[in-house]
Amino acid sequence: MMRPIGSIAFVAMLLALVFVPWLAPPALIQFGTTTLLLATLAQSWNIIGGYAGYASFGNSVFYGIGGYGTAIAMVQFGQPFGVGILVGAVLGVIFALLLGLPVLRLRGHYFAIATLALAEAMTGVVSNLDIAGRNIGLVLPLRKGDAFFYELSLGLLALATLTVFWISRSRFGFGLIAIREDEDAAGVMGVNTTLYKALAFLLAGFFSALAGGIHAYWITFIDPVSAFDITLNVMMIIMAIFGGAGTIFGPLVGAILLASISELLATEITGMASLFFGLVIVVAVVFMPRGLTDLTRRFPGLGWRYFRENLRLHRL
Amino acid sequence: MQTILAVDRLTKRFGGLVAVDDVSFDLFEGEILGLIGPNGAGKTTVVSLISGTITPSTGKVLFQGAPIAHLPAFRRSRLGIGRTFQLMKPFPGLNVLDNVAVGALFGTGGGKSQLREAREDAAKWLAFVGLGHRERQRADELGGPDRKRLELAKALAMNPRLLLLDEVMAGLHHGEIDEVVSVIRKVQSRGITVLLIEHVMKAIQSLSDRVLVLHHGTKIAEGAPQAVLNDPKVVDAYLGTRRV
Amino acid sequence: MSLLLQIVVNGILLGGLYALMALGLALVWGVLNIVNLAHGAFIMLGAYTSYYFFTLLHVDPFAALPLCMLTVFAFGFVLQRYVLNLIVRAPMFNTLLITFGVDVVLTYLAQIVFSADFRVVNPSYAGANFTLLGATIPLVRALAFAMAVALTLTVWLILGHTRLGRAVRACAQNLVAARLYGVEPRTVYALTFGMGAALAGAAGGLYGVVSQINPYIGDPLTAKSFAISIIGGLENPLGVVVGGLFLGILESLTSLYIGSTYTDVASFGVLVLVLITRPRGLLGKTT
Repeated sequence: MMRPIGSIAFVAMLLALVFVPWLAPPALIQFGTTTLLLATLAQSWNIIGGYAGYASFGNSVFYGIGGYGTAIAMVQFGQPFGVGILVGAVLGVIFALLLGLPVLRLRGHYFAIATLALAEAMTGVVSNLDIAGRNIGLVLPLRKGDAFFYELSLGLLALATLTVFWISRSRFGFGLIAIREDEDAAGVMGVNTTLYKALAFLLAGFFSALAGGIHAYWITFIDPVSAFDITLNVMMIIMAIFGGAGTIFGPLVGAILLASISELLATEITGMASLFFGLVIVVAVVFMPRGLTDLTRRFPGLGWRYFRENLRLHRL
Repeated sequence: MQTILAVDRLTKRFGGLVAVDDVSFDLFEGEILGLIGPNGAGKTTVVSLISGTITPSTGKVLFQGAPIAHLPAFRRSRLGIGRTFQLMKPFPGLNVLDNVAVGALFGTGGGKSQLREAREDAAKWLAFVGLGHRERQRADELGGPDRKRLELAKALAMNPRLLLLDEVMAGLHHGEIDEVVSVIRKVQSRGITVLLIEHVMKAIQSLSDRVLVLHHGTKIAEGAPQAVLNDPKVVDAYLGTRRV
Repeated sequence: MSLLLQIVVNGILLGGLYALMALGLALVWGVLNIVNLAHGAFIMLGAYTSYYFFTLLHVDPFAALPLCMLTVFAFGFVLQRYVLNLIVRAPMFNTLLITFGVDVVLTYLAQIVFSADFRVVNPSYAGANFTLLGATIPLVRALAFAMAVALTLTVWLILGHTRLGRAVRACAQNLVAARLYGVEPRTVYALTFGMGAALAGAAGGLYGVVSQINPYIGDPLTAKSFAISIIGGLENPLGVVVGGLFLGILESLTSLYIGSTYTDVASFGVLVLVLITRPRGLLGKTT
């Protein structure tokens, strides 16, 4: 659980980040916004994947639905952004419920595959809808000012993190952890597993949808391929895992670190981001499957044996 | 005596196999009922049918007069049914205290709503079973006998009215068995009804108010421990029929 | 009516190829319990291998199949032996993640090396077709179908009736016992994964003849292979055949009656449906 120093550091960092748009060049603000949105995705995945242990490979579905909800409301119905983002969020939650209830009955990799299939299918469905602009997509009204989107994304990330913080010390969170550790035993001990899983999935969908809505308005464009980008799933999962799934700050640390390194590499070699993430995954999964938070906690005691231990436990 | 649990013509089929065949019995409040029988007799299946892990093919289960045979497991826990598992499965990522806290958070009547209260409860139950000194340890680091204590504590933290114990003494030596027996007596003294599956006959004899015997899924004897254990049908079931 | 027949025949031809595509994935999944999200990337590699043998060395794509299989086999063997073997006993999620990573890396490298342009393998007989029972059958598709069926049967025979097959199945069931009998799991695992990769490579080699190749064909094909494996069921070796034919015919019918842009939706819709109602597949048992 969290020690007071952690929350003080977090609030301090939050305040510092608020002032970035006044101090930083535009490129950095844009990088910041992207990273903040990715961190929100990672944090929302953390709720269903990290705490409940249901590794969804398709949360990009909600990101896309949120984006399209916002876009359709603004473009087809002339609504302001405030309404648009609300529509996106509500749609995200509705879909999380509709899709979640059947799919959450599956365990382990079957659940992962089902969510992946849903994500793939959504691209197909949306590209057939006229109201969504079919394959061409929609162009959203322009709003100038990167600072606006930056602060909005920061606010969203703060909200998501606060939610995870609340989860980590609530009865609900304990129930999720019990489900993750042993779902059958959790049920026998009185946890309403169906309800809790659905709630976790809903929360993940909610925050992902909001992130999608902000992103769509920011880049003023949405189309099926970019909205339901499958690689987003890779990124949000590896960010959460690398930093430490099932912890409050793990996804944040993972997102900021990985996004920064990837950005640095990208300026050197174009398109490197995918290669970088792919390699990070392979190395991280083999040597530090429990992420940075676990690594920083146990490395001081174990040293390099930490990595050997992970290998020894899992190799053939 | 009040009946806390009534099992009526309970039957469970798995495909072609009849694991539990038309079993009926009553459990009286505050008693300890020993459930014995050779391996594969259907004892764990009966317990699973009561706790809700599986649902019956036919038959009824009534807890405090209300039918529960088709309620999901977590609802039965909220009503006051707790159980331990033969294959002890602690929550591996949690420490011992938090393992028990889960039970306190989600037990009878919905459990506690505050984490802190639940942890305090958990600490008390850990002390009750004799595991107080291991609160902070990771649950998967415990040895066999301690794991059984943890299982027990988890179930007790739920504040059950009925406790289903599935072979809690398997693999323990004499001294440990005596300790567990005294803990179970303490449990009974708190007014909790106990259904005890066991192979350790001395424990059955010293603890049980009544004994029930299953064989091939059917009830073959029921009554006072001495009478049942000396029943030739029961002896036969355990030792097998002599071939001439 | 003959249109419907044509569509069904198209579906069957497609289905045969689909079955081969999914076979490698199902093999590795069912036997080694490794869920390979990079499976499509292996298919892609096989396709490019066939393309380059054809364009640079003028090797007929069907003749080049063994080469495609060998190339991708080698790749898969090495990957399993030195990377995937390291996480075999970890939770399944780790395998999903690591193969996802491999997939991302392979796709990126393919894009760099081969460029994103669409490629086709066009042997001289590419346009030829013949008629059977009133349906027009393109020669290449028929040949691809035949090859697919032949390979599937071969694999089935190997698994069931050779020493290697027995060793593989032994490892799948009980690692410790297998070791005691002198089976070296690390190599057997690598060989099996290599076989799965080789099958993907073969499917890729055939894919290049009937469709266009680019670095990004991997992911949708992985997803399809999953759909086929699950729909057919992993328990029965015939599962992928049933699944492949089912999906092939479904996509063909969808393309005609609803629209070609809906084929993916249909496939994945069915997948999700099967997962929810009959997770062990059409050929699996219900409880």
